[in-house]
Amino acid sequence: MASPLFRWLLLFLFCLALVLASPFLPWLAAFPQGWTLPLADVLNTWALPVFDILQGPGRALAAGLDLPLRGLRAALEWLPWPALAGIVVLLALRASGWQLAVVAIIAQAGIVAGGYWPQAMNTLAIVLMSLPPAVLIGFALGAAAHRWPRIEPATVAALDVMQTLPAFAYLIPLLILFGFGPAPGLVAGVVFAVPPMVRNTILGLARVPAEVVEAAQMCGATSGQLFWLAKVPAARSQLLVGVNQTVMASLSMVIIVAVIGGFNDIGWEVLSAMRGAELGRSLMSGLVIVAMAILLDRITLGFASPGRTTILGQKKFRIAFGAFVIAGVVTRLILPEVTFLPDALGRNLARSIDATLMDFVVATGPFFAALRDGLNYGLMLPLRIGLLGAATPTVWGFTLMPWMIAAYAIVFAGGAFILWRRTPTLAIAILFVGLALATGITRFPWPGVVAMALVAAWASGGPRLFAMTSGALGLIIFGGLWAAFTQSAYLTALAVVLCVLIGGALGLLAAENDRASAILRPINDALQTMPQFVFLIPALMLFRVGEFTALIAIMLYAIVPPMRYVEHGLRNVSPALVEAAVQMGATRSQLLWQVKLPLARPVIRLGINQTIMAAISMLVIAALVGTRDLGQQVFIALGKADLGLGLVAGFAIALLALIADRLLRD
Amino acid sequence: MTRLTSLPTTTGRALLAGIAVLSALPSQAAELGAADETIQMAMLEWTGNNISTQIAGRILEKAGYKVEYVTAGNFPQFSGLSDGTLDASVEIWMMNVGDVYPKALESGLIENIGTLGLRSREGWIYTKATAEACPGLPDWHALMEPACVAALATPDTLPNGRFLDYPADWGARSANMLADNAMPYTAIPAGSEGAMVAELRAAAAGNTPLLMTFWEPHFVLADVEVGWVDMPPCDQANLERCIVPPPVDKVVWAGMKDKWPAAYGILTDFRMDTDQQQQMMLAVSEKGESLQAVADKWIAENEAVWRPWVDANVK
Repeated sequence: MASPLFRWLLLFLFCLALVLASPFLPWLAAFPQGWTLPLADVLNTWALPVFDILQGPGRALAAGLDLPLRGLRAALEWLPWPALAGIVVLLALRASGWQLAVVAIIAQAGIVAGGYWPQAMNTLAIVLMSLPPAVLIGFALGAAAHRWPRIEPATVAALDVMQTLPAFAYLIPLLILFGFGPAPGLVAGVVFAVPPMVRNTILGLARVPAEVVEAAQMCGATSGQLFWLAKVPAARSQLLVGVNQTVMASLSMVIIVAVIGGFNDIGWEVLSAMRGAELGRSLMSGLVIVAMAILLDRITLGFASPGRTTILGQKKFRIAFGAFVIAGVVTRLILPEVTFLPDALGRNLARSIDATLMDFVVATGPFFAALRDGLNYGLMLPLRIGLLGAATPTVWGFTLMPWMIAAYAIVFAGGAFILWRRTPTLAIAILFVGLALATGITRFPWPGVVAMALVAAWASGGPRLFAMTSGALGLIIFGGLWAAFTQSAYLTALAVVLCVLIGGALGLLAAENDRASAILRPINDALQTMPQFVFLIPALMLFRVGEFTALIAIMLYAIVPPMRYVEHGLRNVSPALVEAAVQMGATRSQLLWQVKLPLARPVIRLGINQTIMAAISMLVIAALVGTRDLGQQVFIALGKADLGLGLVAGFAIALLALIADRLLRD
Repeated sequence: MTRLTSLPTTTGRALLAGIAVLSALPSQAAELGAADETIQMAMLEWTGNNISTQIAGRILEKAGYKVEYVTAGNFPQFSGLSDGTLDASVEIWMMNVGDVYPKALESGLIENIGTLGLRSREGWIYTKATAEACPGLPDWHALMEPACVAALATPDTLPNGRFLDYPADWGARSANMLADNAMPYTAIPAGSEGAMVAELRAAAAGNTPLLMTFWEPHFVLADVEVGWVDMPPCDQANLERCIVPPPVDKVVWAGMKDKWPAAYGILTDFRMDTDQQQQMMLAVSEKGESLQAVADKWIAENEAVWRPWVDANVK
């Protein structure tokens, strides 16, 4: 068996040979169209009849969900908003305290002033409806995985797919199964919201202290009693965290699935505003979602925290709750038509935001145009089509001479040779980078990519990851998605590198400086909870349709994990070790580079993992600004009502995310 | 397509048109049908559609129906119209219905009940700065001048000029026309309507050149001043390689005719005036009036227009 280093060196030589041969063998650079298999068509032929059979039960389920959903929606609509808002403030008081109550008052006042109260309530109705099934299913799956540990790996893999498969990829099957209306959105919300509940159930049950279990067994508990009377109560706090995560996941999915329509919810507002490129409206409805997310998060988290002390006792809470409900009902009966909502306030504010953005675009246009062009010529184009493609008279203004190629090769080969003695891994990495930069990521010979991916998968994940990687690559190659895949890989890779560099630097700053940390935290929160559609509008206006705008859109979302994890990792380095280093006379920079960063490495690694997942999850949304990646295939499939193509592209994205996750985890 | 094969099709089409005219003749008064059941009207994502829908809904209410407005996505609505979850959608632009609409129409579950009567236009538009860089516009030959091409060129299209095209799933008619006329432009698919509107707004505000494909009436054209290119010649019969004004039609659930016969007749007769719609779009997007108020006002002021539709169809 060859040593790993030797194996990678062989692989490099193989890729180099491919690159040198590709001018003579054009099928090496781009996968020939004639070699693809009609995977999407096969899927359509086989899946459509299955969906047709399932349609009956699906529609019945949708009809069953529709009635309570409409009832809940009507109730929330019927009660005057001050009564409902009062109840939310009460919940905030009971869950946490005065601070959260004040937040609740401000947030709800904002929603009302913006004119989005009815939409917010419609959204709340879907989230509340999706909660019981998601929690029950999640708990049952988690408990099953706890009881029979053998099914746990399969469960976790299924959960990963549920969370990474882009919702747009299964909109068509959802519509076929559940028909038009809020039901498909509800089902998608449940699908997406189940995984966190399962994970937290498994975690909570696994963490039940052994003493509790032993004590129960000594008291002669049956297995049912052991589970319900000992383990579940002991895991209560973790289970409630699961409920909290479920609420958040359901909210984020409800926004996306609003694209179907049928419920006049807040996600619909965001999407319509995106369609009209109205930043004001889109930003305001986005902020409504942020406000709802914060309230739902803090209130459920408050109820979940174990040592909760409340200033509002159970009895007082019930009395006040009843008072608000009665006051609301009475008011509504006396004044059936009055909405108590401002009419034009929000629209005027939205229009002034639009005007401000326009002024900003006009004032900064030349600067951002220069930035865009500079990065496009200098960074993105060479990465995409390689130095061999970029160094032409039309792009860089000169023709590539043989001596330039020779010099390039000598620099990289020489660098690798010098490094070989000390850090051979780095030397090989440099060789690969040099080769990829020469051809460009999208023009690298595909057999080389396949070989690299498979070797890496085998080395770090064994046969299981190898099988998964082969499956994903097979789906991409034979599904005719190779070109879209290389575009995705190029966009994701660039976004991840830039995010890790910029976000990492900001996280480092936040770890060293409390004020920077305080400023960055709410920005991170907003970037993560604001629907990503909102960012597309200003990005489009400043940078135009194209890959650069897509890159910016991806980065705005994917930059949060490196910031968070780097700060978290550095701040949680054992104080004793820091103390010891200071005692030995380490300077501040020595402390950072030689003590803290190496110790924080596992956390930072997890952060990079999360960055990649976030970037991949943005591929579909970035397609709205005109990319050629896998996400665009998902949209094209939507337009063609091509169920097969949508699922193939969607699963390709989900598998990429999973493989990236597994490769980096170990 | 040769003449020989096209002949039967033409005859067939003429026949169909004749049947359509017959069935669309007014004064076919009908029963209200299930007037106590609510008619679900689709509200799509843009202001013009919302105005048309709200007005059509109000006319149905005047005739004695109950109406509910349901927000619906442009593609998903056909799923709703097919199974009767949605009953009518009165303003559908036929250039961006993908393959979803033809498939649904073929299934016989939805029915196209004819034009909304909007004076539509589709073609290439340009901003004011483009006209300065390309003197000679709106004649399309002006776009062939090297200075004009250079003004519109960007890094990803060099040496060609940049042409902002419809999203990839709306077809490639502009790209084909550029190729057929050997025009030095690269068509960049926009990804979404929002992306097109955002670029147009930014280019107009920043006074930068932009050449793109677009259609009218569109709400953004109430805010932004653009010129329309006098289009290069194309084969009008080949819709893949030629841009013609897109039909704007009304589509209903196939069961509507039997369930609400009078409503079906009213919606078939229903027409929208282009200038009036543009005025109302402006009132909503610029003056901040609410959709409901604008529609109510139209109903109050235009009884002479809508009353005959109701009278002709309700027994």
